[in-house]
Amino acid sequence: MSQATQATLNLKHQFDASRMRHYLNGQLSVLHCHHYASLYTQLAVDAEETVLLARTSEESFHGVLADYFDKNDVESVDDRVAVACQYYAAVGLGKMVVRCLGNDSAEVVLENSHVDEGWAKKWGKFDRPVNHIGRGYIAGMCAAVWGKPVGTYQVRETQSIVQGAPQSCFKVYKA
Amino acid sequence: MSATVTTTLNRDKVIADMSKIQVRGDERGIIEGFNVFVTQLPAKFWNSFADRLVSKVEPAMIEPTEYLLVNAAHECGYHTGYGIITSDEWNAIVQPMVSNVPEDILHGAYAVFTAWGWAKSEIVELIPGEKMVVRAYDYYEADVVTHGQSSRPSAYMIRGVSAAFMDLAYGGQYDPTGKTGLRTFKCEQTKGIECGDDYGEFVVTRA
Repeated sequence: MSQATQATLNLKHQFDASRMRHYLNGQLSVLHCHHYASLYTQLAVDAEETVLLARTSEESFHGVLADYFDKNDVESVDDRVAVACQYYAAVGLGKMVVRCLGNDSAEVVLENSHVDEGWAKKWGKFDRPVNHIGRGYIAGMCAAVWGKPVGTYQVRETQSIVQGAPQSCFKVYKA
Repeated sequence: MSATVTTTLNRDKVIADMSKIQVRGDERGIIEGFNVFVTQLPAKFWNSFADRLVSKVEPAMIEPTEYLLVNAAHECGYHTGYGIITSDEWNAIVQPMVSNVPEDILHGAYAVFTAWGWAKSEIVELIPGEKMVVRAYDYYEADVVTHGQSSRPSAYMIRGVSAAFMDLAYGGQYDPTGKTGLRTFKCEQTKGIECGDDYGEFVVTRA
């Protein structure tokens, strides 16, 4: 496949001094640390609500990306993927590479991951994948890239940094 | 009865200076700062997960679930809070105004808490080593209600962080393992914008 010049993410930060709120591209955004993400994830694991955590992530980021694509006229699949990966990195979630993507499936790799590396920093390795936030992001990204609704794609983490792998791998398939 | 301690710290200047700080992931897509990894995610994501989880669980599990949501912020506030009050940014902007330790540090911490968008908040009562009352006049956790009033307050993050700040001030030396120093204080939310009040109110006392 050809790799033409990729779109560049334009991330605009605004501060509302009257309400003391920060916005990234119009979305209310907040800083949180790896302790917070790790404990939210652990809570989802313990409560057997990892699907809820992933779904919440999918909905949130589908909205962010679809809104960005629409407002910035990002139309090609390559450009949409490039912007989604840049956004993932810009907000501190890690370095994402989309190996391949079609209408029915995709393969995604994380070379770095806030959730995994934060979990490992706090507690060490874990015996199963924990990046449900990333899994949701990928599902939301794929749907937004194709202009599909939330829930279109399922994502399975097949290899995980938190388990000691050098990178995390995800398989995406249409639900 | 102990007296409430106020501060001479220039809160407006701290907010004006600290609110300008912007972060962005490095070449690894990681934001490192204040001895932690940081993300800047949509507030809606954090709100939605907490709100759905608490609304979904059986009534008997509501308080345990809320405790764990507060605890996530408590640990976050303890470790990140320590990172903030020992950071270059703090030393450049806030530390020169600090004369009364640790009370000025506490007031400064809420100015930073405000500047970085967690909650437009301030200390309204502080009895050193015993009690702190915080008011939050605008905070993203209240956004879970857009119509009517919730029967339960839901500012779990402010509760946890407020307890953590008192841990850092009066709970002994900072312990990076969190085995000591953490959870020497607890916080109750007594008012909430999400409950129809004009502001959120948070009372921190010894655990």
